[in-house]
Amino acid sequence: MLSKKIPIAVCFLFGLFGLVQYFSPHPAAVSAYSTVLDWVQIIFAFTLLVGVVSLLQIQLKHVSRKEKYWGYSIVTIVGILVMAVFGFAGGTERGTAFMWVFDNMQVPMQSTVFAMLAFFVATAAYRGFRLRNVEAGILLAAAIIIMLGRIPIGEMISARIPETAEWILNVPSMSAKRAVLIGIGLGSITTALRVILGIERSYLGRN
Amino acid sequence: MTELGTLIALILTLMVFSFLYKENPIYRFAEYLLVGISVGYYLVIICRNTIYPLVIEKLFIHGEYLVIVPVCLGLLMFARLNKRWAYLSRLPLSLMIGFGAGISIPAMLQARILKQMSASMQSLATINGIIILIGIISTITYFYFSKRQEGMFGKVTRLGTYFLMVFFGATFGYTVMSRISLLIGRFEFILRDALRVIS
Amino acid sequence: MDLSRIDRRYIYLVIAIAIAVPLLLKVQLPVSVGPEVQKVYDEIDSLQSRDCVMISFDFEASSVAEIKPVAEAVIRHAFEKNLRIVGLALFSEGTAIGYNIISSLAEEYGKKYGEDYIYLGFRPQYVSAILGMGENIDQVYPLDYLNDDWKDFPPFSDVENYHDISLVVSIADGSLPTYWVEYAGSRYGQKIAAGITAVMATSYYPYTASGQLVGIIGGLKGAAEYENLLGYTGGGHRGMLAQSSGHLAIIALVILANVAALRKKR
Repeated sequence: MLSKKIPIAVCFLFGLFGLVQYFSPHPAAVSAYSTVLDWVQIIFAFTLLVGVVSLLQIQLKHVSRKEKYWGYSIVTIVGILVMAVFGFAGGTERGTAFMWVFDNMQVPMQSTVFAMLAFFVATAAYRGFRLRNVEAGILLAAAIIIMLGRIPIGEMISARIPETAEWILNVPSMSAKRAVLIGIGLGSITTALRVILGIERSYLGRN
Repeated sequence: MTELGTLIALILTLMVFSFLYKENPIYRFAEYLLVGISVGYYLVIICRNTIYPLVIEKLFIHGEYLVIVPVCLGLLMFARLNKRWAYLSRLPLSLMIGFGAGISIPAMLQARILKQMSASMQSLATINGIIILIGIISTITYFYFSKRQEGMFGKVTRLGTYFLMVFFGATFGYTVMSRISLLIGRFEFILRDALRVIS
Repeated sequence: MDLSRIDRRYIYLVIAIAIAVPLLLKVQLPVSVGPEVQKVYDEIDSLQSRDCVMISFDFEASSVAEIKPVAEAVIRHAFEKNLRIVGLALFSEGTAIGYNIISSLAEEYGKKYGEDYIYLGFRPQYVSAILGMGENIDQVYPLDYLNDDWKDFPPFSDVENYHDISLVVSIADGSLPTYWVEYAGSRYGQKIAAGITAVMATSYYPYTASGQLVGIIGGLKGAAEYENLLGYTGGGHRGMLAQSSGHLAIIALVILANVAALRKKR
């Protein structure tokens, strides 16, 4: 009962309410709608905390069982604790220890991880971008025109390059993306209806 | 402190870049440290900036006792950490998913379907407008898998793949642009802020 | 020599040189302004002094190098136009970065917290936050980032919901502008502009073509275009030569790989 039927009923009721309130300007409906929006925000915040606790649990387990790379798990645990102490004790304003660690450690490391993608994308282009057939040719041509058209040197070579890039973005590329958007929109509505009606239950898990 | 901060940022940047040579303990140390700091940051921001104003402030300062309901539902999410009680977390989860599904229907219908379709019909007097409409129809047709893609239908779907290839090509071009920009950011930091080779 | 089997580290070296060398040369390339950036600029420029704009920092630290110049250009424009700014973040890391950017630029322009700008901070569930602000911003954000009651600041006490916001600018590295369009735009008729990373740019053209987005500022190039319109040289301009040589290097690598493959086939 509590494991399946009640959650499905709750899903149906709140789903129906979410859908129906859109069409109702009645103050009671608006007030209830605002309240539920608030609830969702609070529940979601707790959900994220579950993620934090779960990660901490896993890292502690690695250390206690001395699994492979357990020493690195200590680094993660220390990182969490240091940020928590700095943030809760010293605040999150500019000039605090919390912000110092964020600016000088978290931002540089995270930006560098993503900056490495420039190297990987270059390797992928070098190894994978082959002119094998018409489709690959179109892909390659569009990519090169955009790459040239969005840099000042492209403009210097010929004014036609940025113009063509702009045309590609506004006409053929846009039309394909618009078709995909419409398709995703239709698919999302179908899925949402299936969820509300209790046909789609994968969010309940396996057991 | 600024000098020390820049030095530490430089060391950590180089530690992460060491992965380009090969996976190594220095990179792994930075990787685990990044996860720890990020999660710690997340924890503080959620507690101080979301849970405090939405729960503590409302409940204890403004006396809004209705807040207890989502707090209890939120606490039920912790049941996920225990296999025996995990099913209890389905209650808050079903509320969020159900309500999310309900509010998404009119939004999707209006923003993604009706508005996009009407925009496609408005410029049919121009050649570009006609190309756009052909692109939309042929691309949507390509995703119709209930009929074998052959004959005239196959030709239309093939045209759809050409439009998709243009979109993927353009997206790839922009992806290169994005990744290069991120690398420029790191190189600027190393050359300007850390080594002061450029002003 | 089989070029198709070249060690990946040589490719890395080519890219590193293509980026680093132009940064050492102090050459700045002229940048012409595209229509999408112009539309965002015109929209902000058409606002009256003391109008209220909402700037949402919807990105993570990973894309800060690309997105920071975009955010700076928009905020500079807003401060120059003497607009009131309501800052907030729907991505956690954008919270601290956005706060840093907005408060350091406020110092530069002599703007005061509570008078010219406020910073509301982070809300994790973006759909409910966007919808909730359409009813009452105070309900979603009873306190600001510093946990003060922002309604106590007289210039912002009359800001109730989107009716009082002239424009929302979502500075994003993902799909957040889509949510702004779908929920704030469709339901509340809110005008929305987007400052985005280049990787997301092609996804937003259908929204600008349909008028659901005012315009988009795409990546470092978009930032450089906006800087051009404001008449200053910032992070966008500085990177343009390196950006150009990086693109050219990748195009050269693709051509080289194709020529090598063709020769091998023969």
